[in-house]
Amino acid sequence: MTPEFFKKTLDPVIALVAISVLDIFLFLVVGAWTVGGGETMMTGLIAQAIIGEEALGRLPFWTLVFEPDAGYWKIYISLGMLFGAFVGAVLSKEFYIRFPRRLSEWVMITIGGLLMGIGIRLAFVCNVSTFFGMGPEMNMGGYLAISGIIAGAWVGSMIYKRILEG
Amino acid sequence: MSVIGQCLVAFLFGSVVGLLVQRSRFCNTAALRDAILFKTYRNTKALLVGMMILTIGFTTFMTFGEGHPMYFDVGLNTFAGLFIFGIGMVLAGACTVSTWVKTGEGNIGALWALLFTFVGMFLFSLVWSANYWPPAPASMTGEPNLEALQLGYANAATLQEKFGVPAVVFGVVQAGVLYLIYRAIRRKEMAQEEHHHAMATHATAAQPAE
Repeated sequence: MTPEFFKKTLDPVIALVAISVLDIFLFLVVGAWTVGGGETMMTGLIAQAIIGEEALGRLPFWTLVFEPDAGYWKIYISLGMLFGAFVGAVLSKEFYIRFPRRLSEWVMITIGGLLMGIGIRLAFVCNVSTFFGMGPEMNMGGYLAISGIIAGAWVGSMIYKRILEG
Repeated sequence: MSVIGQCLVAFLFGSVVGLLVQRSRFCNTAALRDAILFKTYRNTKALLVGMMILTIGFTTFMTFGEGHPMYFDVGLNTFAGLFIFGIGMVLAGACTVSTWVKTGEGNIGALWALLFTFVGMFLFSLVWSANYWPPAPASMTGEPNLEALQLGYANAATLQEKFGVPAVVFGVVQAGVLYLIYRAIRRKEMAQEEHHHAMATHATAAQPAE
């Protein structure tokens, strides 16, 4: 990879073409790109470490749907993204610790994060599965999910706009 | 493939994706939010191109029974869940991909969003019902189950099975629709560019000569 790659911003269309070709390979080997499933398994593993196996086992979700398993391949997609982004940021000298400045930002991020987590588990899919898995597989759920996320993004944008306008 | 092999492939895939997303600043949230709020489509176009390639790729392999499509029932919960998710990602300013990528860049706000995504998932697991709703094995039968607001399961492969038409044919139709949306966006952008150019020319012409 040329040093130029780390100096200029890459055209997102080129990035998405490359990611899509790789996603087709992933689809053939294990399954399409997804993030929500891996995050759920990480949640289970973290919860297990905090409250213990027995206490977690009392919740049916963690025995019937996502039994904590560190060998679940989807976890490693997320960890890989973290690693790849860190390498990219360091080599392009874009890595630095930054914090949200205002209290309102912390509040919005907290509420936003919570809603994302609840939404993923209610739908059984995340935005990545929606656009890079179910949608292209022409799964009926893909159309429902795309409609839902567009409607949600519209409502979210209106709330965001109102907050920006004070 | 062995479990370790699967995890290695996933990590390698994720690493390349993380690098490409970091270098391109692609963001799924921005693809929707910027189109709605600011009428800019940098990320939206990339998303559409990606979906076109994937649609053709996935449905081509599904025609021959290859690949690992997602298999579970969908229903009202799919719409409702992504609706909630959509609001959340705009408020958090990041989706599932950009929370990881921005965290990798040292963004503590993104790490905070990620932690609360985990908290949200755990809270949901506390109220999840193994019996019926939110959708559980008992209500997901593979067929429409309207009482549980479930529509069953269907994708390009099931369409091929039902109509005897290769899955890729449906894929080409979907890719065509995505292309029409892409073309409409490009036309809108070109009209915006022309407008800006005309305004700049007008402003230059209106300046008094020294």
